[in-house]
Amino acid sequence: MKESSLLARMWKARVVYLFIAPYFILFILFQLIPLVWSFVLSFHQWSGLGDMTFIGFDNYRRLFTSEQFRQVLFNTLFYWAVSIVTIIPISLLLATAINSPWLKRRSLIQTMTFLPYIISWVAAALVFRMLFDHEVGLINISLNALGLQAQPWLISTRLSKIPITILIIWRLVPWYMLIIYSGLKSVDLQYYEAAVIEGANALQRLIKITIPLISTILFFCFITLTIETFRIFAQPYALTQGGPGNSSMSIVQYLYINGFEFFNLGYASTVGYALALILLAVSSLQLRNMVKRNKEMNM
Amino acid sequence: MKQNTIERNTVRMVLVITMIIAVFPFIFMMIIALKPPGESVTGLNSLYVMNPTLNNFVRVNQIIPLARNAINSMVVSSVGALTTVFFCALAGFAFAKYTFPGKELMFIIMIATMMVPEETSVIPVFIIVRQLGWINNLLSLIVPKIATAIGIFYMRQYITTFPYSIMEQARIDGCSEFRIFWNMVLPNITPALAAWGSISFIVRWNELLWPLLFMRSRVMYTLTVAISLLPTAEGLSTPWQVIMAGAAVSVVPLVIIYFLLQRFQIAGLMTGSLKG
Repeated sequence: MKESSLLARMWKARVVYLFIAPYFILFILFQLIPLVWSFVLSFHQWSGLGDMTFIGFDNYRRLFTSEQFRQVLFNTLFYWAVSIVTIIPISLLLATAINSPWLKRRSLIQTMTFLPYIISWVAAALVFRMLFDHEVGLINISLNALGLQAQPWLISTRLSKIPITILIIWRLVPWYMLIIYSGLKSVDLQYYEAAVIEGANALQRLIKITIPLISTILFFCFITLTIETFRIFAQPYALTQGGPGNSSMSIVQYLYINGFEFFNLGYASTVGYALALILLAVSSLQLRNMVKRNKEMNM
Repeated sequence: MKQNTIERNTVRMVLVITMIIAVFPFIFMMIIALKPPGESVTGLNSLYVMNPTLNNFVRVNQIIPLARNAINSMVVSSVGALTTVFFCALAGFAFAKYTFPGKELMFIIMIATMMVPEETSVIPVFIIVRQLGWINNLLSLIVPKIATAIGIFYMRQYITTFPYSIMEQARIDGCSEFRIFWNMVLPNITPALAAWGSISFIVRWNELLWPLLFMRSRVMYTLTVAISLLPTAEGLSTPWQVIMAGAAVSVVPLVIIYFLLQRFQIAGLMTGSLKG
């Protein structure tokens, strides 16, 4: 049979292109054009009205020398690092616990523990704002009852990141627990039986068997959690407004304030690109991994 | 077997504590929301309610246009979820079951864009939405996210197992490609549709940044935005009962939907695609 020409093959697949068209039209309009435009904007000064002024690398220079940006970058890295080292191990332990073959009422436990993920960041933050309030909050009352010092959680530059981090852990553990749990379900029980017979305890089984077997899923959790924590906005917005000072402000909140409160559209775009570049550096590994696997799948 | 018993009891205890931590904020929120103004909300007093009242919800309704905000959230989330599921499944079907020029390139572009945070281009998107006249229009919260890369990716994984032989048979019987999708593929992937639909619903319901940017009047706010702007001070004190009532209004519909659907198969779907 003769190789048909490219155009002929494309014409033959015209219906299929129609199936994909909605995505690609929206992609071009709301992702590709904005991304290029944002790049152009990052070299300009513009308030949204009147003409744009080309200022070269001034926005980037401003970004690197800005005390405030350094602070919000540090805050975001703090949220990211603490989330990674707490959420993934906690989720793994809880998923392993729920996966215990002898456990009764498993679906009740799952339903209850997943609840935090249903609530919005805003609603959860409002509840946490009250729990951590330095006057009426339950946290301080409990600390006092335990003989410990009450702390000004939300109004101290030293402590303001802690309630936000706890909020993030509380709401995200259920999600990662669920993902890891469904990964565990696919692990062959035979490995465990053999390990139990050989006298391995729970911790040994976890480190020697479970973690290697679900390493792909743990890696996926690492990447999605990284993306999620770099994009933090609603959490400080609703819990501390980023304050006091800038002590709990995230990068996206800094972008929002510069863009939509000060109308420095050029500078805000620069902040957006900085965010994308940091994230891209972290997630390029995962991207390569996915593309490779996709090729193996023989599409 | 003594070690075994200790192990099991530890696991049980950890799970019970986890359940308490997970559920406590919900109960706490409801208790405060039901408190009459006379009852103290300080410290241990916040753990019970003597004379429950619905007054705080009435007050929330006086501060924000509650019904209107709830309708906005409902429309955005349900229309958004339905359209997202349809368009993601349609594109996922194309990637799973057809070969066509440019397929691999398109797929790589799609995955690559999953890694770019939408906040990077939020300013041009705002300008485009304004040009379209979609400020204060719920379309701006529905249309841009109708077909997402991640949704297409999962739908594709799910549809991959659909047998070619059935498609061939349908073609012989004179079915169009869209009819194959509508009559055969869609009914066979309802678990994926339900899972992805409920996740989209929750994500849209809880979204803060976009509605905060695109909705510029109180009546157009979604519930999530409206409660984030509830006043934090009334004179010298904070109206905690009112704030908690507002939070409860935005949470309760989701909790009801969650218990109706019982379980999310989304994670299974996700790990399935990871192993793929």
